[in-house]
Amino acid sequence: MEILASFGQGLLVVLQPENLIYCFIGVFLGTFIGVLPGIGSMAAIAMLLPATFYLDPTPALVMIAGVFYGAEYGGATASILLNVPGTPAASITAIEGHQLAKKGRAGVALFSTATASFGGGIIGMIVIALLSPSLASLALSFAPADYFAVILLGLIAAAAVSNGGALKGIAMVVTGLMLGTIGIDLTTGVERFTMGIPELRDGVHIVIVAMGLFGVSEVIASIRSARKGSIAQTVDYTDFYPSKKEWASLFAPILRGGTIGSFVGALPGTGQTIAAALAYAAEKRVSPQRADFGNGVVPGVAVPEAANNSATQTAFIPTLTLGVPGSPPMAIVIGALMIYGITPGPRLLTEQPDMFWGLVASFLVGNILLLILNVPLIGIWVRLLRIPYKFMYPTIIVLICMGVYSLNNNVFDVWLTLVIGVVGYVMRLFRFEPAPLLLGFVLGPLMEEQLRRTMLLSRGDPMVFLERPISATLLAVTCIIVIFALSSTVRARRQTLAQRTPPNRKDRSNETES
Amino acid sequence: MKQNLKALSLAAVAASALATGAAHAEPGPWSDEPVRIVVTFPPGGTSDLVARLLAQHLDADFGQKAVVDNRPGAAGTVAADYVAQQPADGTTLILSNNAPFTISPTRFESLPYDPLGGFTHVAYIGASAPGLFVQPSSGITTLAEYVDFVKNTPMTYGSSGVGSISHILGEAVDKALSVESIHVPYQGSSPAIQDFRAGALDSFYDMVVQNSDMIEDGEAVALAIASPDRNPQLPDVPTFKEQGYDVVIENWVGLSAPAGIEPDMRAQIHETVLAVFGSPEVQTKLTDLGITHVSMSSEDYETLVGDLIGTWAPLIEAAGISN
Repeated sequence: MEILASFGQGLLVVLQPENLIYCFIGVFLGTFIGVLPGIGSMAAIAMLLPATFYLDPTPALVMIAGVFYGAEYGGATASILLNVPGTPAASITAIEGHQLAKKGRAGVALFSTATASFGGGIIGMIVIALLSPSLASLALSFAPADYFAVILLGLIAAAAVSNGGALKGIAMVVTGLMLGTIGIDLTTGVERFTMGIPELRDGVHIVIVAMGLFGVSEVIASIRSARKGSIAQTVDYTDFYPSKKEWASLFAPILRGGTIGSFVGALPGTGQTIAAALAYAAEKRVSPQRADFGNGVVPGVAVPEAANNSATQTAFIPTLTLGVPGSPPMAIVIGALMIYGITPGPRLLTEQPDMFWGLVASFLVGNILLLILNVPLIGIWVRLLRIPYKFMYPTIIVLICMGVYSLNNNVFDVWLTLVIGVVGYVMRLFRFEPAPLLLGFVLGPLMEEQLRRTMLLSRGDPMVFLERPISATLLAVTCIIVIFALSSTVRARRQTLAQRTPPNRKDRSNETES
Repeated sequence: MKQNLKALSLAAVAASALATGAAHAEPGPWSDEPVRIVVTFPPGGTSDLVARLLAQHLDADFGQKAVVDNRPGAAGTVAADYVAQQPADGTTLILSNNAPFTISPTRFESLPYDPLGGFTHVAYIGASAPGLFVQPSSGITTLAEYVDFVKNTPMTYGSSGVGSISHILGEAVDKALSVESIHVPYQGSSPAIQDFRAGALDSFYDMVVQNSDMIEDGEAVALAIASPDRNPQLPDVPTFKEQGYDVVIENWVGLSAPAGIEPDMRAQIHETVLAVFGSPEVQTKLTDLGITHVSMSSEDYETLVGDLIGTWAPLIEAAGISN
């Protein structure tokens, strides 16, 4: 009851004209950026960040969140029509979605993804509303040891479930960890790897790394592939609504996808792509239509969309209640809140109830707006895909440079972004995924900070991790995940050895030239 | 809607272009051009708010257009280096504070700028004071009890980071009280306070006025404040001095210009800035930020900066944070 009352209060906050407008701007921009291949929500949020300096915290947060989940709606459009995922998570949607489009049923696929995204978003919102207050009150007594255990669990879980090209993935996480050590060491004040450059004393900003790896390198890749951006498929609007049978087959997958997505998203470190992949894999096993998976089935597009959208919302749970970013874009959200002097953590719910519940309620409003934007207005977004890239990408580069410059009003940051972009492009050529790098970059320094703080507080006694019930439980869960992951890897290895066939490596990268 | 948004943003761009265009010609007390006040921190912090307060009143009360330019990074050294290289014509000023001017000179082996010779320090604005907070459950209410307790069992204390003013105060207090505490650095004071409330930290140092809520709610006991006199907003919190320890460490802000600014212009800026902060309305806003305003001549301010580098150097070196 109390939660319902708080939610009602939040609804009143978000229905204030100012907040409503920024919610709309957020979801609109999110869809826009999501439709554009390669430029994900990360880049969009980073570009918007400077603009939020001039807003109140609540509309700013509502807008940033809108970009974040709006991009997942838009991401599906390009992946269905072009087989080019607009966001990394949409690559899972592309598997079935593009097959449907090839059969001339793009309209049905687009409609199903919008509905599924909406369903997933609502499930995610309900999970946030139910879980956050109790998690926050539990987290009031969290010590650094407990935070360390949470982050470790997130990193390990992310590594365990994303086992496509494990070695390259680990290499990327480690590279991210190393990038994260640049700057003044928090515990001793010693400069690490700054090479005497004062701009590096505070480390490399997350926005710079993200814009370089995802934005700039994407644009460089597009120059090489030089696609014109015209699409062959036209959406047949008469065939937009699913058949009665398909309607019926949509409900259960949305529920399953949304539930899996909610829990995966709430783990720090995992994020939407893993949520979508897990949900799709699970659906492949339980769906009544499992035999048709891979040939374009409606549940196959609904499940990953429901999962990635609910994960997008639940990523706010650890971000806001613990101050531990659920995913790299969430690190930017934390950065944005810090600008307002708001430190996300267990007290945020009680100290900023209007902001928190306004945000939760904005998920409802935003998802309704998105449903309107993506079902009746889908034609706009399809047309957007026809803009030649030679106009689109230079504009994006300019926006990236502006966004990065405005972080510190320093040209050094612009050059650094371009350098990282070139490095990111080379990584793409060798099929190294940027996402694990960013994850290591975000969570590594946090984990180091909490570990060293724990050691300071315990006067160097490592037993403190096992003495505290919360950290001991979390570490036990982590151990179980490691054992489970190892044993399933060994089993898979044995199976492939027995069959003497090379492993079937599905390309799940989010590249354009694939 | 898309069209409307476009029109709206175009209108905003046009309006701001007009505003800057108009600002160009208006004569101010010392410059016809709009003045840039460089802030060493990102938007939203105390420094930024002081700069915006100043900019707003320079324009409203004296017709001097001023804009705030945030150039955060590397403990303020990025901003200081930038300002030192600008022409000394009164159009670029820096909201000076202890980070780039009195801490970094000792902390960093090489600085790209000279904190004294590279600048003309113009006007002192005011200072806020940090203090020592302990857990109410410890039963400690005075510094004497604190010393007795810490002599036997060292306490952990949280600060806003290595080389921050709260860390320097922690070092100064340890030295003055001849005790040894365990320093636990955080990124800013909020996470430190969060851990303090969770019971993970025994004590912490932070600005006292900003934490008056915790004192009133009985969540923390403020043992002493590091200002020369008690703060009028918190008359119950005693100073270190009156408890017998000569510890005065304040977080000050002022206004400085690149070296070589004309003496007449320096006097004009000094006079205008003092007039802004002399008004009761502005002083109330400063007090809300925990800053006590003090009038000081430009020469005294310059001497103060030089003196503080000397006084703090041994503390920073003792903290082991100088590279």
